[in-house]
Amino acid sequence: MFENSPLPENSTEIVLYDGEPIEFTYKGRQFRIHAVLSSWRESGGWWNRASDGLYRPDDGSRAIWRVEAAPIGALTTFEIEREEISEVTGEVRWRIRPSSRALRSS
Amino acid sequence: MFTHLHVASGFSFKYGTTQPEALVERAAELGMKSLALTDRSFAGAIRFAQSCQEFSIAPILGIDLAFENIKTSEKNKTYEKKKYRATILAPSGKWSALLRLTTALQMTSTSDTPIITREFLQTFATYSQELLLFHGPQSPLAEAITHRHTKKAHEIYAATRDFFAEQVIEVVSHLAPGDGPYSTPHAARMLAFARENKVRAVLTNAVRMRDRSDGPIADILDAARTLRPLHRTTVARRNAEGFLKSSEEMARVADQITRTASERSSAQLLRDTEELAEELALSPENDLGIGGIHLPEPQSVGARDHAEMAQHFRQRCIAGMNWRYGNSDLLTKAEVRLEAELQTVHTLGYESYFLTVADIALRARESGIRVAARGSGAGSLICHVLGISGVEPITHGLLMERFCSPLRRALPDIDIDVESARRLEIYDQVFAHYGDTQWQKPGNTSRCATVAMIETYRARHAIRDTGAALGLPPMEIDLIAKSLPHIRARNISQALANLPELKNLRLDTPLLKMAIGLAERLDGLPRNIAMHPCAVALSDSAFLDHAPLERNASGYPMVQFDKDDVEAIGLLKLDILGVRMQSTLAYAVAEIARVEEKEIDLDAIPLDDSKTFELIRSTKTLGLFQIESPGQRELVGKFAPETFNDLIIDISLFRPGPVKSDMITPFLNARQGWKARELFHGDLRGVLAETEGVVVFHEQVIHIISIMTGISLAEADEKRRALSTPEGQQEICDWFFPTARARGYELRLVTEIWEVLRAFASFGFCKAHAAAFALPTYQSAWLKTHYPAAFLAGVLTHDPGMYPKRLIMDEVRQWGIEIAPLDVNHSARTHRVEKYRSPKNSENLESNERYGIRLALSDLHGISDGEITTIIAGQPYLDLADFVRRSGASQPICEALVLIGGFDSLHSETHRRDLLLHLSDLYRWSGAQKLGGSQLTLGFAPPLERSGLPDVTASEKVKFELDHLGMDISHHVIEFYAEFLNEIGAVRSSELHNHRSQSEVLVAGVRVALQTPPVRSGRRVLFLTLNDGYGCSDITFFENTQSEFAETLYRSSLFLVKGVIRKTGPRGISLRGIGAWELSSAYEKWRNKTRKVAVCE
Repeated sequence: MFENSPLPENSTEIVLYDGEPIEFTYKGRQFRIHAVLSSWRESGGWWNRASDGLYRPDDGSRAIWRVEAAPIGALTTFEIEREEISEVTGEVRWRIRPSSRALRSS
Repeated sequence: MFTHLHVASGFSFKYGTTQPEALVERAAELGMKSLALTDRSFAGAIRFAQSCQEFSIAPILGIDLAFENIKTSEKNKTYEKKKYRATILAPSGKWSALLRLTTALQMTSTSDTPIITREFLQTFATYSQELLLFHGPQSPLAEAITHRHTKKAHEIYAATRDFFAEQVIEVVSHLAPGDGPYSTPHAARMLAFARENKVRAVLTNAVRMRDRSDGPIADILDAARTLRPLHRTTVARRNAEGFLKSSEEMARVADQITRTASERSSAQLLRDTEELAEELALSPENDLGIGGIHLPEPQSVGARDHAEMAQHFRQRCIAGMNWRYGNSDLLTKAEVRLEAELQTVHTLGYESYFLTVADIALRARESGIRVAARGSGAGSLICHVLGISGVEPITHGLLMERFCSPLRRALPDIDIDVESARRLEIYDQVFAHYGDTQWQKPGNTSRCATVAMIETYRARHAIRDTGAALGLPPMEIDLIAKSLPHIRARNISQALANLPELKNLRLDTPLLKMAIGLAERLDGLPRNIAMHPCAVALSDSAFLDHAPLERNASGYPMVQFDKDDVEAIGLLKLDILGVRMQSTLAYAVAEIARVEEKEIDLDAIPLDDSKTFELIRSTKTLGLFQIESPGQRELVGKFAPETFNDLIIDISLFRPGPVKSDMITPFLNARQGWKARELFHGDLRGVLAETEGVVVFHEQVIHIISIMTGISLAEADEKRRALSTPEGQQEICDWFFPTARARGYELRLVTEIWEVLRAFASFGFCKAHAAAFALPTYQSAWLKTHYPAAFLAGVLTHDPGMYPKRLIMDEVRQWGIEIAPLDVNHSARTHRVEKYRSPKNSENLESNERYGIRLALSDLHGISDGEITTIIAGQPYLDLADFVRRSGASQPICEALVLIGGFDSLHSETHRRDLLLHLSDLYRWSGAQKLGGSQLTLGFAPPLERSGLPDVTASEKVKFELDHLGMDISHHVIEFYAEFLNEIGAVRSSELHNHRSQSEVLVAGVRVALQTPPVRSGRRVLFLTLNDGYGCSDITFFENTQSEFAETLYRSSLFLVKGVIRKTGPRGISLRGIGAWELSSAYEKWRNKTRKVAVCE
């Protein structure tokens, strides 16, 4: 399911899963996509591309994804823990702490 | 498996990019089991269904129509301006309701794009209540959803609820940006609306393309449809997703939409779509009626039931037998043949077919309109005795089997030729009898309509529409389009590479290359639906259950199907062709009746009149049907026809096939006795003798096969039809050899005959068709022989042939018929015959009868129909002033009439220049009167005075005639060069035959025709026909002389030509051109220089 798709212009990479991008390299840093806000396809305007020789007679559409992404490791990782204190009363205790990996990188 | 329920093909004119067949093929490739076609017309429906049959796909049909926005309280201007569309689909078994609804909409609408309104639905709810309404992305409902006007959406839905069997919400995402129609968010909201209101929702892809790559074609079509160049703001298409996607791709779209709509899975949406697809599947045979036959019912031909109709049919045929054969030796033969034909017709159940056509022909004849059969129908004795066809089939060996046989299920094709000038009268009769004008309420019982013709993109239109869309300079587009021959659009670049005149156009600019590439991709796409020029479809009272009608510019209802579709669903298709020669013949007969007080029945004249054949052999055939062209005159000269059968052969030989394969030479060689004819075998003598052993007719092929293999004529015709394909030929070959050998024919003979069949089967001609043509040919020749003035007056009036009027005028002079000038008191709308008796020689009155043809008012350039009517109504006129006052003619027309001598007989004392001055006095005076406010009073017009100026000269007269009549009447233009031509020894066309073959001569004349027909060698040959007042000369210019003289030939109209004489037969003469000059410049040179002629050096 995973595949790497090279982008010729700046020799960076997009990692796809089932045809959809999940990770990419941008300005030397690797980003992970956390949410696709919207995605659509566009085409047209081919008639303006006659003179520069970029005209392609099939005018395939361009797909666009608008995403929320962050450099891998840039986000803080937490561990959220729930401890059941008493099965009789149903009392629980919550703990939140940065995970060890996040601590290492910070 | 997914089914596409919203698909447009090229038959949504200038919208869809793909042929229906290609869509079906793709759906089959994608493993789909059913497919819908929801075009903006039904013009592609039949071929779609046929293609579905081929690929075992269940067809679903709907129509995409303009919808009005239902007016509600929440009034919003943006709703009113837009054009809305929605699709209506037919559930299984309800196809006819869909057709009737669409027909009602088309026929009651007054605009070009009919719109479904609430009022319309109220009237025609009977039909719509059987059907499904799809609220798609262009519907008013989708618009309301776009604006999040949920209440309005509810109102729209509720407003049409009672008018349809069911309303369905169409969920479409083209993954378009934003959140309007075609975007995923919009689709999700449409889905949510459906769920909230418990309405069925289906997924479609609003398809208009087969592939993503068709996007630019869609844009070009949009530009061509809306007549706007391509621009961001004018192109509707946002992306290329509206194509026939696979089931997997559609499942992905469904996932996206349902996820956005917060539905757990896409399963329900896809399942509902499939379920609906099953409910909508139609049967090509049972629903559409493909392969069935729907002829007019017995009632429409005046019988109660089929049995009575069969009896009625037989009685009419027998009555016809007495009329045609009552006094003929052929009666016994004809009776036997009639019995056999009746049996065939009865087996096929075609009685009403023949009776309907006979009725139409009869009604036309009763109103005095000439009718003749054309095509293989002339081979049927029934057609002859019912008065459909005039040719006697037994004498001429015409076969019923070639026309109609129990072995062929396709309906036979009867075409009738009628007077072109009165063709629409026959349409009116047909529609009065079989039509129904009650369109305002359901239940119309029309049984007839005209037939559609689909105009498709060919080279010229393709380059025009593409060029305009891309904003190329109009001049440039025009130049390319005009220089392109009439070829397929896909061959444009190939053709452009071969056209020398376009070399300097720089066809390799990126924009032009793009335009050409795209224009080629428009190849064959439907461009427009038009009315077929002559076809009419007839059927029973269930006609409208099978065929959708629309209103056509002509005013006659038109079925949206083309000829092939109409045949596929078994309607009776009748071609009613307007033939100018038939009008010419009728006109001549009417003139004879008027001038000679003789009633002539052209259909009863004997077919063996020796004087008529003398005329034909003399090659003076100008104006005659079929045999007036230079090529035919040459052939008639060599062939020298003596009988009606010879005429049939002549017409059959003069066609591209026989000319190319050179069947003519062996025939003529045998005919003239120069070579022995080859009749192969005694058994075949009877079949081959009439054409000197050359196989010319289909009927001969049928007979040969039947004789040599022992099968029936009907079976033999099936074999003949199979010969037209290479596979068929192989099959027939494998069968013919053993079968013929088994009947005792020698292998050598069988081989020889097989070669003949193989070679000539495809070139052969249907003898019945040729015979049907030979009849008006003979009738025209008979009239020209016995009543030349009346006949030529008809030719001038109805212009049936290929030659310009001035040449026909010249022919009139050749026949010693006077041309009477245009005269305000004597001229009529048409060319009338005048008969004169010269009183001087009163002892022999008969021989002193002379004839003239009076020029018609319609000859005058620029005269209007209204002016002709008022001028005729005012005849006779006392003088010019009277004419100006009463005739209603405009000033320029009055002036033109003066100049060409229209008042010469009224004012014999005054010449034309003075009359012209008088005319301008009259106008100045009447203008002053009008200013003064008083009426033009009789008797006070300015007097006619003599100015003392000289009269116009003879050459001026000719100039005026050429200017206003387009022809020289008083003198032949060549006459002005007579001295020059005599001096240089030019030869009159009538004297060419006195010169030896291969001698060089000079001829002069006015260009009559310049043609570049395709010839066998592929080299271009120019054929020039000149007229010099003594007749015509035909000159051929081959390639080697063209470079020097082509420009002159194309540019000039008066010529001096040098050529070498070639005698081609007893009468035939042709010149090989070796030089051509413009006559006036040659004349100038001669006059200015010496008596030595420059051109002869």
